[in-house]
Amino acid sequence: MIADMREALEAVLGPISEPVLLPGGASKEAWAVDAGDERLLVRRAGGGVIHRHTLSLRHEFEVLLAAHEAGVSVPRPVAYIEDLEGREAFVMERLEGETIGRRIVRGPVPERLPEQMAEELAKIHALAPERLPFLEEATIDRLVDELDDVDEPHPAIELGLWWLREQRPPQREPVVVHGDFRIGNLVIDESGLVGVLDWEFAHLDDPARDLSFSLVRAWRFGADHLRLGGIGDAEPYLERYNELAGFDVGPDELDYWELAGNVGWAIGCLTQAQRHLTGRDRSVELAILGRLGAEVEYEICHLLETQGVT
Amino acid sequence: MSERPTPDELAEAIEEFLAGEILPTLDDQRTRFRMLVALNALGIVRRELAKLPPVDDAGQRELAARIRAGDVPAGTLARVKADVHARLLIASPHYLERYGADE
Repeated sequence: MIADMREALEAVLGPISEPVLLPGGASKEAWAVDAGDERLLVRRAGGGVIHRHTLSLRHEFEVLLAAHEAGVSVPRPVAYIEDLEGREAFVMERLEGETIGRRIVRGPVPERLPEQMAEELAKIHALAPERLPFLEEATIDRLVDELDDVDEPHPAIELGLWWLREQRPPQREPVVVHGDFRIGNLVIDESGLVGVLDWEFAHLDDPARDLSFSLVRAWRFGADHLRLGGIGDAEPYLERYNELAGFDVGPDELDYWELAGNVGWAIGCLTQAQRHLTGRDRSVELAILGRLGAEVEYEICHLLETQGVT
Repeated sequence: MSERPTPDELAEAIEEFLAGEILPTLDDQRTRFRMLVALNALGIVRRELAKLPPVDDAGQRELAARIRAGDVPAGTLARVKADVHARLLIASPHYLERYGADE
C-alpha cells in the first residue's frame, strides 16, 4: 500500500522519501513526504462519504492557489492529483509550527498573533469571488436544514436559531470566507502565524461571520477568559481587521456572529455524531460529539442570557 | 430526553474500538486475555442497557417545535438551560466549572 502510494507520488513529484501517515483527520488522510529538501504534505480523501457543504479536494486546491497568489499565509500548493491510489489528493508545502489548540493557548502566545489573524482574514475576504465560481453562499437557513436532517429535538439550538432570525443585522455583500478560521486550523510558531490550513469549508458569506468564528468558546481550548481563541482580546483584533478590510464591523455584530458560530458548531457536533450513528464512519471520537454538543448548547444559553433573553 | 448516542450506542462504539483497533495490537498474552474479559463485561452492560425502555422525547420535541414557530414566552430560556445543565451533569460535568459560580 505505502509502496504503491510512493510510486504514484513519484510519478508526479520525482524521487521522494517513504510516505508517513500523520495522526488525526477522520475524513481526510495526511501524508508527510520529503522530495529532496522540500517538506511536503499530501492531503488525500478518506474512505468516508463526501459531506454536504464541504469542498472537493480539487476545489480546495483551487482556493489554496488563489489564496497563495493573493499573499495569504498558506502552505505553498504544489500539485493536484485526481487519482492517487483510487482517491483524489493534493500536495502542498508542509509548514513547521504548532497547530494543537491546547498547546497554543498554554503560551507563550506570540505578541502579534491577534493582529496577524486579522491581517490574514482581511486578505482572504479580498479574494475575487469570480476566480472561485464554485463557492456557494451560506445562510442561516442552511443551518436549519442541517439540524432537520439530524431529526433530534434540541430546544437550546432552536432558541439560538430563533434569536439569530429575530436579531439579524443588516446583511453585507458576501465575500470569500475561510469558513473554519480559528485556533487549531492555524500553524503558529514563536514569531506568530505561519499559515492558514483546512480550506474545505470555504464559501461566500458575511465577512463578520468569518471574523467572529474564532471567538466561539470551544475554540478557546480552556483559556476562556481570552475571547479571541484563548490567545487575546477581541477588540484589537476587530480594530485591525476593520482598518485593513475597510469594513466597520461593530462589537454587537461580533456578539451576533459569535452566537451564530456556536449554533453552527452545536449542529456540527450532531452531524459529526451522525457519521458514526449511520455507519458512514464508525469512530468513538465522532460518537461522543453527539453528547459533547451539550457543552455548546450551554454556551448558547449563556450567550442568550447576556443578550437579555429569559 | 432522547440523546444520541444512547448509552448502548456509546457502549457499542467503545466495544468496536477495543475489539477492532486495540485487541489486534496486544501482543502480551495476559493483557490480551484481560481485554477479552473486559469485552465480555462490556457485553453484559450492553445487554442490560438493551432492556431499558426507550426514553420518551415527546416533551422536548414539542418544545423544540414551539420555539421553531416563534412561540418563546418569558422563562423559556431558563427552562431550556436547566435541561441542558442536567444533560451536562452526565455528558461533561467539569465543563460547568468554566462558568462562574453564579451559573
